[in-house]
Amino acid sequence: MKFRTSEYFIKEVAISLKRNNWMSLASIGTVTISLFILGLFIIIVANLNRMASSLESQVQISVYLQDNITKQQRTTIEEDLKKLSGVEAVKYVSKDEAIKRFKSRLGDQEYLLTALDNTNPLPDAFEVTVSNPNIVKTASKTIEKFKGVDSAVYAQDVVEHLFELTKLVRYIGLAIIIFLAGATIFIISNTIRLTVFARRKEIAIMKYVGATDWFIRWPFLLEGIVLGFIGGALSAIFLRFAYTTLTAKIYDMMAFFPLIPIHPFLTYISIIIICSGIFIGALGSTISIKRFLEV
Amino acid sequence: MNSPHEINVIKMKDVSKVYDNGAVALDNINISIKRGEFVFIVGTSGAGKSSFIKLLLREITPTAGTVTINGYNIKNMDNHDIPYLRRSLGVIFQDYRLLPNKTVYENVAFAMRVIESPRRLILRSVNSVLDVVGLREKYKCFPNQLSGGEQQRVAIARAIVNNPAIVIADEPTGNLDPETSWEIMDIFQRINAAGTTIVMATHDKTIVDTMQKRVIAIENGHIVRDESIGGYGYEI
Ligand SMILES: Nc1ncnc2c1ncn2[C@@H]1O[C@H](COP(=O)(O)OP(=O)(O)OP(=O)(O)O)[C@@H](O)[C@H]1O
Ligand SMILES: [Mg+2]
Repeated sequence: MKFRTSEYFIKEVAISLKRNNWMSLASIGTVTISLFILGLFIIIVANLNRMASSLESQVQISVYLQDNITKQQRTTIEEDLKKLSGVEAVKYVSKDEAIKRFKSRLGDQEYLLTALDNTNPLPDAFEVTVSNPNIVKTASKTIEKFKGVDSAVYAQDVVEHLFELTKLVRYIGLAIIIFLAGATIFIISNTIRLTVFARRKEIAIMKYVGATDWFIRWPFLLEGIVLGFIGGALSAIFLRFAYTTLTAKIYDMMAFFPLIPIHPFLTYISIIIICSGIFIGALGSTISIKRFLEV
Repeated sequence: MNSPHEINVIKMKDVSKVYDNGAVALDNINISIKRGEFVFIVGTSGAGKSSFIKLLLREITPTAGTVTINGYNIKNMDNHDIPYLRRSLGVIFQDYRLLPNKTVYENVAFAMRVIESPRRLILRSVNSVLDVVGLREKYKCFPNQLSGGEQQRVAIARAIVNNPAIVIADEPTGNLDPETSWEIMDIFQRINAAGTTIVMATHDKTIVDTMQKRVIAIENGHIVRDESIGGYGYEI
């Protein structure tokens, strides 16, 4: 494309964005909202997945003991645990130590424990480490049958629920996103249709004097792409703001929460969102060009 | 494209045009037009003149027969070639079809810009065709500041700015008074003298009778007369 030609296209796009200002704003607005929601769902799903996989890779089983067992019984349990195949380490965590650890994890929020009136609800426990994540489930089943063991808890238990939650979020997200994408494409294609209508005389003359179809189509395609790009960029900015604020808030309350760090995650999200905007814009204008331009 | 030995720039062989609604606009037309000819297409309203013109521009395709123009076969040509066919033609309509928000200069330059002509060439060519139609001074005017005759002269300038081999005009004087019509015909005559083929559909008896050029008369889609030097032929 010649320089002079691209200059012409850019001018044409600027003119029609100005001419259709309300429709242009509406288009940019819908793109922004739709992509913001898309981005939100991607962020949520990505974080849930990360949580799931970090839990899944854990090879620890917390074995909680019944309250009233003797020291002798405890030693027997410890020996039995060490004898189990696949078990690499067994560590005793007394209830006093457990509450100390819990306090340190709470950090600033330690005051929450005052509600407990200095009683300790935590049981004595063994922390069992196995050699690989695949045997966690069967090992736990076996351990739970030991005499004096109250329960054996492992992270993968949570993982299954988390996966279900992720699936649900994905489906709901997908449905909402498909709906919003449809609405966005509809609005963009209507904006472009207005431009086609406003320029129908010019288009007719262009055809008579021998402009190529692509020369005629380009400004319309470009207009859609610009609308999509602006919308995408805006929602990328909003998403960045939302995620940084949210992570800061969450870390404030729960320092150990496994959120995906902002860098480079948000850069990827921004790229995805802006590309989606451009794609949606191009699609919307392509529909209009097909239906109304007749070139 | 056209070979230099081909002297027929337009050829219609057994051409018929039947519209989708069944209206027969042209029926078994056979003509050939040589390079440099000046041809009037005459006939009453509904005779098929505009359909004839539209075939040449490939706005419509023939229902039967073959139309060849500037070396392009209208029926079989590739869609990608249509713009290039049209670049070899200059077209003028009764209603001028200028862009109201562009000046005289911009309207003419538009025809060059959209086929991506170099800027320097645009300036030179536009000025020179504005000279041909006598509107160099009014280059800054908008169409609504011009008379009908002046607007049509701008349209002619736009039609010839890309140096077409053939100028095709559908009732170019239809909206103009006799005096102004003659200004237009004077320009056509000069363009023709420079070697450009001209095909002009018209109702205007006086013009046809005075010009003494080739006349193709169409009635109900048939060619009823084709005289190399003729007049309108009958009263309307
Ligand atoms: N798009 C169309 N669809 C259907 N019929 C058409 C169409 N265009 C023209 N016709 C018919 O074809 C016939 C020839 O029309 P055409 O426009 O070629 O005549 P014309 O000689 O240019 O008339 P005029 O002098 O009034 O401009 C007419 O009967 C007309 O009704
Ligand atoms: Mg007509």
